[in-house]
Amino acid sequence: MILIMAWRNIWRNPTRSWVVIAAIALGIWAAIFMSGFATGMMNSYVDGAISNIVGHIQIHHPSFQEDKETKYIISELDLLTEEIKNYNNLKAMSLRSIGTGMIASSKGARGIEIQGVDPDSEATVRQLDTKIIDGDYLNVEKRNPILISQRIADKLNVKIRSRVVLTFQDLEGEIISAAFRVNGIFDTKNNQFDEGHAFVLRSDLNRLLGADPNDAHEVGILLSEKEEIKNIVPQWASKFPSTKVEPYYIISPDLQLYESQMSSITMIYLVVILLALIFGIINTMLMTILERLRELGMLMAIGMNKVRVFLMIVLETFMLSFVGVPLGLLLGTLTISYFGQKGLNLSAFSESMQMYGMSDMVYFDLPAATYWQVPLLVGITALMASIYPAIKAIRLKPVEAIRKL
Amino acid sequence: MIIQTKGITKIYNPNKIPVNALNGVDLQIEEGEFTAIVGPSGSGKTTLLNIIGGLDQATQGEVLIKGENISKMPDNQLIDFRKNNIGFVFQAYNLIPVLTAKENVGFVMLLQNRSKEERDQRVLELLQSVGLEDKVNKRPSELSGGQQQRVAVARALAPKPAFILADEPTANLDSVSTNNLLDIMARLNEEEKMTFIFSTHDQRVIDRARRVITLVDGKIASDQVKS
Repeated sequence: MILIMAWRNIWRNPTRSWVVIAAIALGIWAAIFMSGFATGMMNSYVDGAISNIVGHIQIHHPSFQEDKETKYIISELDLLTEEIKNYNNLKAMSLRSIGTGMIASSKGARGIEIQGVDPDSEATVRQLDTKIIDGDYLNVEKRNPILISQRIADKLNVKIRSRVVLTFQDLEGEIISAAFRVNGIFDTKNNQFDEGHAFVLRSDLNRLLGADPNDAHEVGILLSEKEEIKNIVPQWASKFPSTKVEPYYIISPDLQLYESQMSSITMIYLVVILLALIFGIINTMLMTILERLRELGMLMAIGMNKVRVFLMIVLETFMLSFVGVPLGLLLGTLTISYFGQKGLNLSAFSESMQMYGMSDMVYFDLPAATYWQVPLLVGITALMASIYPAIKAIRLKPVEAIRKL
Repeated sequence: MIIQTKGITKIYNPNKIPVNALNGVDLQIEEGEFTAIVGPSGSGKTTLLNIIGGLDQATQGEVLIKGENISKMPDNQLIDFRKNNIGFVFQAYNLIPVLTAKENVGFVMLLQNRSKEERDQRVLELLQSVGLEDKVNKRPSELSGGQQQRVAVARALAPKPAFILADEPTANLDSVSTNNLLDIMARLNEEEKMTFIFSTHDQRVIDRARRVITLVDGKIASDQVKS
């Protein structure tokens, strides 16, 4: 009966109840929207970084990452690559030789990381071939081809087939220079990466470094399941102690920081939304109680105890939430689904987003847990919001309440 | 004896401007009485009823219902006591607006955890006895004032209380509804030996009462039992 009374009570003033339901639904929608947007942004940044820069896992000589000296070549590379190739969750693998030096044209010079790659395997890890906006991808038939970014091309004032000179140290520490011809110009939409990297053939770079043609400084690995990183990294690390096996979030701690920052920001938004919701619900329920003073007094007069009165007020609040929550979830799910497929075009902020390595299209995504976490939080919020009005209700003195007009 | 009050005094605002609503009221009411408490406005009728009904506490004195002192009962115990022993009929009907007539009448029995069969049977009997068997599924807003008050009487009777307190029950009713209500209450008093105590200004109620207690300035000025 209390359930029936609570349900009917909330429809005594349908307009007011719908306002609260709309506020709850809107709150949930806003929380889901914010969470979906933030996750989408995060994915854009992290996935962009994974596919353009780091991959899921990188393997180096233990000292290579400290100062990137070319002498730190990976040992036991054959055994290592064999092991990696046999791994079930391997999606792609690429071997890279790396030199740090200068790229120069007649118009200028810039510091750069030169990566010697095998075109086919690199395309599977970084999809570099799909980022070419002018010219062609690396071609093993050509002599000393190089891929540079649009930003470097602009700064060095070079174009396709222009000649650039790379200067770097070989394995002996000697400075060497070599001329390369621009074969293609790429744009990964990540300004930082584009300004700092150029790609040549691994065979060319190894020859110039004085290294064996099969040597590499880096193994870039892409897995079919991102979640497998935590399992496989320690396995490989223990099997090949003379190498350093690192997941992307260790190689680029900024990615982990960004992930946690986004979670914190989402949580802050959620708290703000829930706070607004609490006050909205408290206000409405207090008004409801104020309007029903005489009735509540009468209920206590005829024998409804305080626990039941308390329960009735809490139930009324809960029921408002129970109508609002599915509505909010439905709206939120539809929004996430729409923007998850079509994406939200933020091309107006394209410049600044690319500066941080993000695409200007944000595809919303939402961790599955959010679909129960948000309603649960709203439920807890509704419960908290109902407590004060319910306490006000049970503190009423029947005789005083009945006297009220 | 069903009700006994001993030296009931009620002072409102004792720390500011004290108002003496009741001044040492001693009263005994026997089972089956049909008693009207009358008196001018401010004489303390409603206050006395509220104190007898355990809705208000006396500043001094004791109230014994069926020999049990309710003056110092804790709130929750008092609510339970009211639920099982006292029926209330209010001037403004005070039905639960979201419940039908049937649900209103059965509400207190539900609080008493009576079975559905028992509730349904008693509710139907009571609504028949107040002449509202055709209005069982109507909500208060769909009933006239007189009909609402009859539902209120049925509700008060439903848990089989020791007595019914009715505060100005006819104040908002026209004369037809008043006579109708009084007929019903008189019949219930005679047939079921239900004790009724009214506070009233209404001469029609006073005429039907078998005992009339007159309060003046918070004291019993006269206590007349009709033959």
